[in-house]
Amino acid sequence: MKSIGKTRGKTLFFWSILLPALIVMLWLTVYPMITVFLTSFQNYNYISGRRRWIGLGNYRNILTDQVFLTSFKNTIVYCFSTTFLEVFLGTALALVFYGNFRGKSIFTILLILPMMLSTMVVSSVWKTLFHYDIGLLNTILSQIGLSRVGWLIDPKMALWSLVLVDVWQWTPFAFIVMQAGLSSIPQEVFEASVVDGATYRQRLFRITLPILRDQILLLCLLRTIDTFKIFSKVFALTGGGPGNATETTSFFVYREAFQYFNLGRSSAASMITLVAVVLMSIFYLRKMLNPREA
Amino acid sequence: MTKKTALLLLSLCLVLSGVSAQKQVKLVIAGRDGDYGNAMQVAVDAYMAKNPNVKFDVLKLSGDDVYQKTVIDLKSGTGTYDLILIDDPKVLQYQRAGWLTDLDAMFKKSGKTVDSDFISTVMDLCRYPNNAKGKLYSLPFVGNVSLFAYRADLFAKYGLSAPKTWDDVLVAAKTISEKESGVDGISFRGVKGNPILTAFLPIFWSFGADFTNASGNPTVNSPEAVKALKFFLELAKYGPKSTPMNNTAQVRDGLLAGTVGIAPEVWPAWLGKIDDPNESKVAGKVKITKHPEEVKKSSPMIGIWHIAIPAASRNKDAAFDFLTFLTSRETQKLMVLKAGLPPSRVSVFEDKEILAKYPWYPAISDALENGVARPRTLYWAEIENTMGGLIQEALIGQKTAEQALNEANAKIAEILKQ
Repeated sequence: MKSIGKTRGKTLFFWSILLPALIVMLWLTVYPMITVFLTSFQNYNYISGRRRWIGLGNYRNILTDQVFLTSFKNTIVYCFSTTFLEVFLGTALALVFYGNFRGKSIFTILLILPMMLSTMVVSSVWKTLFHYDIGLLNTILSQIGLSRVGWLIDPKMALWSLVLVDVWQWTPFAFIVMQAGLSSIPQEVFEASVVDGATYRQRLFRITLPILRDQILLLCLLRTIDTFKIFSKVFALTGGGPGNATETTSFFVYREAFQYFNLGRSSAASMITLVAVVLMSIFYLRKMLNPREA
Repeated sequence: MTKKTALLLLSLCLVLSGVSAQKQVKLVIAGRDGDYGNAMQVAVDAYMAKNPNVKFDVLKLSGDDVYQKTVIDLKSGTGTYDLILIDDPKVLQYQRAGWLTDLDAMFKKSGKTVDSDFISTVMDLCRYPNNAKGKLYSLPFVGNVSLFAYRADLFAKYGLSAPKTWDDVLVAAKTISEKESGVDGISFRGVKGNPILTAFLPIFWSFGADFTNASGNPTVNSPEAVKALKFFLELAKYGPKSTPMNNTAQVRDGLLAGTVGIAPEVWPAWLGKIDDPNESKVAGKVKITKHPEEVKKSSPMIGIWHIAIPAASRNKDAAFDFLTFLTSRETQKLMVLKAGLPPSRVSVFEDKEILAKYPWYPAISDALENGVARPRTLYWAEIENTMGGLIQEALIGQKTAEQALNEANAKIAEILKQ
């Protein structure tokens, strides 16, 4: 009898501490998500108030819309290139900064400065640097005898310019995570491998990187989710142009929702984006949670 | 002091505080940033000096933000704002939805009248339907219109006469570009969407093109429109290579720095410092006029901003009093002199003090009288983005003029079908 009362008390306590968080999550995450899901099957214009059920109409419409398809392709290219470059460079920098040397802390602080800046500030600075006529990058190129590059005006170049800005801003984040991972590896492991005659290359590929596998996967997951949502850089640097060269899915959703107030179409585009992000996250999480899947 | 006296004093305090609280009004204005925001602040400060009981919360928002916030608030009827600014091509949504207070009724109630000093073409846009008989829902906060600017000194240097037609402009742009080193023949905004379309429209209209025909079907791929776009692309050859990413700052700064021969789309607020030798390298050298003509008359684009009182406002009387103050002759003059805001009253354009400071101001009233308003449609934002995006694709060589306009026409037809 006493133990039943004790269990009930425990359950009550469990729910009482869980309930506030659960209510907030249901209200702010689950409810909006269900609303967006249901709205995605409707032709809903917020201004006119017109709202009717059209089944998969919005999805059919969006998946044949050239602008959305280009946006999706651009988002994928942007997402994977930035994630790869940031994780690669972050890991390389962490390896360079491994160990103790004079000025390490100053260099580390300097290195992580870009990620402390607001994206809008970063974008404004880079917009000036990228300017075709008066930008610093083209001035340097022309002074060393190379031809100017249309960083933001050449449709083939614009997306890569955005990639460059993101890599500049977020490689420091990858660097910090990898540095934390590296410093958690016991020194003895390396010392033992040196005694066994392992070269630096062998130590890197057979010891360091396999130990850091989870950190790398976590970084890939975080950067993939973040870069898939790219919005502010496009907003501040290119406005989706030139042409549709830097259109992304978030920008598409924003325009449909807050410029045209077509909430049905924007909800459908959001759902497609959500599914893509969830699928990618599942891929990374499965790899992280299952150590046998190397 | 007895208990009774204390009680009496306390009640008196309560009554007095109640009275003063009643008189205190706070008006929330959903306004614009930049020059418009500065001008609004000038008016608000002047009004508060005369009416200390009225306080203000002036939100200085970007064009997109003011649209998003006001649509969401007005649709839900929460009455957050007492006065709102509305960009002209979007005003129809607000007028039709019944979101705005009927100003005719407010004028009648207050015993005031709408005077005839406002430029009539501009006032018609504040009414719904857009004619003198329509119901008044807003007043013009700013009499904005696009203008045409060119370097009179370079035109004189190369024996070019003042451009009367767009063909004259092309010849001049080519000449300046080829002969004057360090100066681009022409410079306009090329960012996709609103900027490039705004630069293109005066050409589009004066080449005889229009958005729709009499039956409401889109005609942006008409032979006239294609000719206009081909001409626009030809003009762009004499502009900077950075045109597709150039926006207001680049065009304005180029003009002030003397690196631009012709700016076919400038706005009055950009030109406040054009004749100031401390800020401009071309003081006294730039001529500002309405746009040239082609097969049709000069067609500057009207870009006025309306000010209106939301129907859900809880301080309509106070908001109306401020609205009449804001659009009065005296306040418009103050905003011109202190913040360079283009007025919408004929008498302000003719004011001697203003003409002494801005000798080119008659060009604004001339352009406003000749001005063309963008189509009245609920879907302007979508049409503008679509057409502005495709024109930019033509500018960067991804599409021909015909391809861009055929696609624009098909998409506009789809948008209008909604």
